[in-house]
Amino acid sequence: MTQNEINWPVALRATDSGEQAAAVAVLRDLLQHGLRIALNGRGNVSEAHLEDFAQEGLLRVLDRLDQFQGRSRFTTWAQAIALNVAFTELRRKRWQDVSLDALMADGERLAGPAMIADDVLGADEDRTRLVATLRHAIENDLTPKQRAAILGELRELPFDQIVKLLGTSRSAAYKMLHDARRALKHRLHEAGITGADIQNAFNL
Amino acid sequence: MKPEDQRMTSEQVGSIVKMLALTTDREIDCTECLQHVGEFAESQLANQPVGDVIASVEQHLALCPECREEYEALVKILRAGL
Repeated sequence: MTQNEINWPVALRATDSGEQAAAVAVLRDLLQHGLRIALNGRGNVSEAHLEDFAQEGLLRVLDRLDQFQGRSRFTTWAQAIALNVAFTELRRKRWQDVSLDALMADGERLAGPAMIADDVLGADEDRTRLVATLRHAIENDLTPKQRAAILGELRELPFDQIVKLLGTSRSAAYKMLHDARRALKHRLHEAGITGADIQNAFNL
Repeated sequence: MKPEDQRMTSEQVGSIVKMLALTTDREIDCTECLQHVGEFAESQLANQPVGDVIASVEQHLALCPECREEYEALVKILRAGL
């Protein structure tokens, strides 16, 4: 039987423990094979890491079986979950040496005034107006945490690091960022700056 | 930290403007993206049109580098025939 012929949700919930164990073993192997393909070429990922990611991914999949809606193949859904486990762990490792003090200093710096250098204004009148409006909105319309979140993104801090800085959950941090972007966009809109103006001013 | 180090560069202002151009009132977060990204990846690889739900995945991927990194890895796996 091929992976496409297995009814995964049924097999993984099978009351026959032999059938269930067999499905679990096949899925674990599939996840590990997928991770090997996805993470190939990363020097910091060993076979032992792949095994750990596959096992943790498998547990996460089993835990979320009820959330599978059948809108993709089961194995695609499961691979996405295993990848999320692996990348989250790799990002955590990359940032684990950043001390709490450094993190707090980042937070303090990012929560401070967000200055836009004058040379960003440019010679074009529309661009000057857009950047001046944006500068005013960043400084006046955003909370310190929203400003920290936006600037953290611009400085390419990993999102999990921004979440830590804000001392909140991923969902709450995403909402905070979304609200901040909406507030800035609203301010530009109020100033009569349209999407087309934005695209023209920055050649998007 | 020197004051000039705190200034946003032209590139950063460009990025923020790009983010604003992509911002919509209704957006999904990373958790919802993970729930639907498989469907989106399969649709993309099959060149099928995407519905509203998975169109919001595309929009999230444009704004979230972490989810985009995971999506690209998923596509790599699917292209390998898994």
